[in-house]
Amino acid sequence: MFASCCIFAAMSATSDSSFMLGAREGFAAFLPFSVGLVPWALVMGMAMTSTGFSPLEAMGMNIIVFAGTAQLGTLPLIAAEAPLWLIVVTALALNLRFVIFSAAIAPGFRGVGLPARWLSGHLLTDGVFATCVDRMQHVDDPRWRLGYYLAPSLWSWLLWQSFTLLGIYAAAIVPKSWSLEFMATIALIVLLVPMARIRPMLVAALVGGGSATLLRNLPLRLGVVVAIVLGIAAGFAAEHVEHRRKQQ
Amino acid sequence: MNDVSLWLIFILIGLATTLPRASFIVLGNRVALPATLQRALRYAPAAALAAIVAPDLLLVGDSVDVLNAKLGGGIAAVLAALWSRNPWLPFIVGMAVLLGLRQFGA
Repeated sequence: MFASCCIFAAMSATSDSSFMLGAREGFAAFLPFSVGLVPWALVMGMAMTSTGFSPLEAMGMNIIVFAGTAQLGTLPLIAAEAPLWLIVVTALALNLRFVIFSAAIAPGFRGVGLPARWLSGHLLTDGVFATCVDRMQHVDDPRWRLGYYLAPSLWSWLLWQSFTLLGIYAAAIVPKSWSLEFMATIALIVLLVPMARIRPMLVAALVGGGSATLLRNLPLRLGVVVAIVLGIAAGFAAEHVEHRRKQQ
Repeated sequence: MNDVSLWLIFILIGLATTLPRASFIVLGNRVALPATLQRALRYAPAAALAAIVAPDLLLVGDSVDVLNAKLGGGIAAVLAALWSRNPWLPFIVGMAVLLGLRQFGA
């Protein structure tokens, strides 16, 4: 309810043509990637149902949290009645990458009002970040930028809520052997491939992916956070090496 | 577990999600990251996406297995994304290879 009120407020406050132009372009850029959300949301609905949540509780979590990784990561802890602090620390560790994403995309929100920034922050996801971060740095008009960001964000939100709801009720119907959740992995690959065409980015991806695999047994899933930091350091180092080689 | 504490858990996880996400978007220009750090942060999305994808493709249970169907499907999706501009192709090829390999027992 709260989120949909915010959505309407944000839409009506900025529903001029440059907002809509940005919105159309952002939506078109994001649409193919959003396919990956569908199986991911279905799996989320099924997982919450099998943890023992009622449909109301499951949709409550889905609307309040709105984060697949943090939801799936904390479900086993909730089911095991783990202490509250451990659940919160785990969620924070899983979400630490968003601080980095938020800092990287923040310049794209210059000239945008505070309520729209809070809404945008709440709606920040991996796919929307990857779609918008670069494009938003290179456009002057703040309304165009907000449209370019909010259209894919709101589309993600709507898809996510609808298909989680479907997943809650379809938990028993879709055969597990279809492995539909793999489409979420493919969606992440589709985002990653064009980035990794630049050599230092490829180094960052290889080190990040390799370390996350090797560090999988670190407590509280901190391995993912450590791997991201190592990947960033490796990419930055590779950029310096390449730069020095060009100078020689 | 009683119902009240379950909703409290949801709200706390929600805060642990929205606050990191909104952090710099909301603070904006009042807090500026140093230029060097900003340049380094450009590598964050590639590192993070790979950190989520790689374990998913390489691990079966808790051990690394380089001959599993998910890795086959993942490689097929990478090749499709490299060589075609059709945005749907990686999904079709990746799922086909995954299910094909599972079917024929690779």
